[in-house]
Amino acid sequence: MTDPNVLWVLGGVVLMSISAAAVGSFTLLQKRALIGDAVAHAILPGICLAFLLSGGKHPLVLLAGAAATGWLGLVTVEYLTRHTRLKGDAALGLTLSVYYGAGALLLTSIQRSGAGAQAGLDKFLFGKAAAMVREDVLLFAGLSAAVLIVLAWIYKPLTAVIFDRNFALTAGLPVRRLEQALSLLTVFIIALGIQAVGAVLMAALLITPAAAARYWTHDLRRMLVLACGFAAVSAAAGAWISYLLPRMPTGPWVVLALTLTAGISIAAGSDRGLAAAWQRRRQNRRKIDRENLLKCLYQLGEADGQPEAMRLHSEIAARRDMPPARLRAALHALRGEGLLRQEAGRAGLTRAGAAAGSRVTRLHRLWELYLTTHLDLPPDHVHEEAEAIEHILTPEIEAALESKLNFPSLDPHNSPIPAKRTLP
Amino acid sequence: MNSIPAIELHSLTVSYDNKPALWNTDYTLPEGVLAGIIGPNGSGKSTMLKAMMGLVQPASGYVKLFGQPLDAVRQRVAYVPQRSSVDWDFPVTVLDVVLMGRYRPGNLFRRSSAHDRELAMECIRKVQLEPFVGRQIARLSGGQQQRVFIARALAQQADLYLLDEPFAGVDAATEAAIMDLLREMRSQGRTVVVVHHDLQSVAEYFEWLVMVNTRLVAAGPVADVFTADKLQQTYGGSLSILSQVGELVRQQAHPVRETPRPPMP
Repeated sequence: MTDPNVLWVLGGVVLMSISAAAVGSFTLLQKRALIGDAVAHAILPGICLAFLLSGGKHPLVLLAGAAATGWLGLVTVEYLTRHTRLKGDAALGLTLSVYYGAGALLLTSIQRSGAGAQAGLDKFLFGKAAAMVREDVLLFAGLSAAVLIVLAWIYKPLTAVIFDRNFALTAGLPVRRLEQALSLLTVFIIALGIQAVGAVLMAALLITPAAAARYWTHDLRRMLVLACGFAAVSAAAGAWISYLLPRMPTGPWVVLALTLTAGISIAAGSDRGLAAAWQRRRQNRRKIDRENLLKCLYQLGEADGQPEAMRLHSEIAARRDMPPARLRAALHALRGEGLLRQEAGRAGLTRAGAAAGSRVTRLHRLWELYLTTHLDLPPDHVHEEAEAIEHILTPEIEAALESKLNFPSLDPHNSPIPAKRTLP
Repeated sequence: MNSIPAIELHSLTVSYDNKPALWNTDYTLPEGVLAGIIGPNGSGKSTMLKAMMGLVQPASGYVKLFGQPLDAVRQRVAYVPQRSSVDWDFPVTVLDVVLMGRYRPGNLFRRSSAHDRELAMECIRKVQLEPFVGRQIARLSGGQQQRVFIARALAQQADLYLLDEPFAGVDAATEAAIMDLLREMRSQGRTVVVVHHDLQSVAEYFEWLVMVNTRLVAAGPVADVFTADKLQQTYGGSLSILSQVGELVRQQAHPVRETPRPPMP
């Protein structure tokens, strides 16, 4: 990397991506994620018109043209949604294709006229950050930073407006102006970013980081920080690759890196990722296995009056159908908790284990009784449900159930409901 | 009791999608009462509150609060929307939401002051959510979410509170706790208006009642208006002609007034 320009461009693209991710986080929360896509496409005719009218490609002029039609596109979507029978998605699709079509038409005619090759306007389709010169980069980075600063300034009231618009209106907040400010920032950051990643992919830069961050946290501030971080890393990676492979456009590589981040987040995100959900399911299943085993041993003891006796694994398996591996895991876990004693091929409850088993049995029978007496279910329909519910009842609900049932001693099948014991 | 009413509705008509949701409604509500608004589904109860808060524009008529238009007394009025009107998956904490009750046009672009934070904490204590201050609102029960909304309204320190179905989807203990709070507010001279669903508790909860079914059926002290006759008018089928006319108005895009919206006197 001998070219000093590289670092400038890299820095500029990273800063722009951070601003885009921050703005995108708010449009995502506003449930207007696709608005960025419409604006990005609406920008293309503006760039072409600015080029045709000015006869050159001064970045500020192109930027002004981009922002102008981008804003017009946004206004079109809002007008269509508000004043016609079209729904939001139809209005978006219509606006996006009409503006983009007009832009493509203009672009083709510019290229036919021979000026296009010199203008290099086609880079606005997919972006070519590497083509930017240092002065442009400084300008764009400065403007991106300005977007970020304005966003930080309106952060507090904007959050209130997005969370509860009606409340914000009644509290006298300048709701319309805040919404317009966010729209303006959206148009502006898209107009800036389009140089680097192109019209087609700009929406991804806005939305993907925020969507990925949502899988890791339930806190707005952390979500913003994470989204900006994802965007920065992806942008750096994308810009780097487009430098290493000189014929490569920047946009697709940035978006590819972002999509990878999003994929990882969906799979492994700590808040609502698939792995976290799987982990929760597994923990629940293990807890259910352990409690079922305690209940099984307790009820075997109920039958012969020896709750703490040692019993053969085969005797347990005969009463409780459970895959051998899960049975072993549950036995092992219970021994670790001091609820179980184990010797060759046999297992028995400790005193604490018997108490725990009696509690599960008690909850099961209380729930069965509740279903029959208060929800009028026949006694032969309540066992299956009680099998599941016994594992989630809290001590508070247990107490409420007991008093509602008037401290019963027998369940609907005339089995005794064990007395409450203090768990050691 | 003050001679200026807390709420005055004058010939108020509100339409949605050109269909009148509330016809020609007139009443005044005195200051310092705990009042209920009852009526069947779709009878315009929520619309009435929204019109008072300027969230929907009347097709005709006007609302005065404390004898003035809303903009002049905005800081004296707090509104609690229906719980289902927002997305509770929004990534903010209980404290974040309650602090929003302190947002004023003058402090929007600054960090919340220590005084505002203290006040928000006090309101959170009042609704017994202290253990959940830093909890994400998505991880609260329905009753707790409702109490967050009420705490936010308390933080506004208003004189008039308008609550839209605060007991919907709330457990009995929460309902009792909210009711205690509302009574306490009333005893401090505040005016509290509650859109309510459960007829059984009307006489126990409220001293003033507004009965509505697209038009006003009655408004007055509970003892005077909560009668079998009025209930029949509110919930019975006698208003079918009115709703038929409303449907006609919508279908033909017909105006509900020949000259829309005369200026407020």
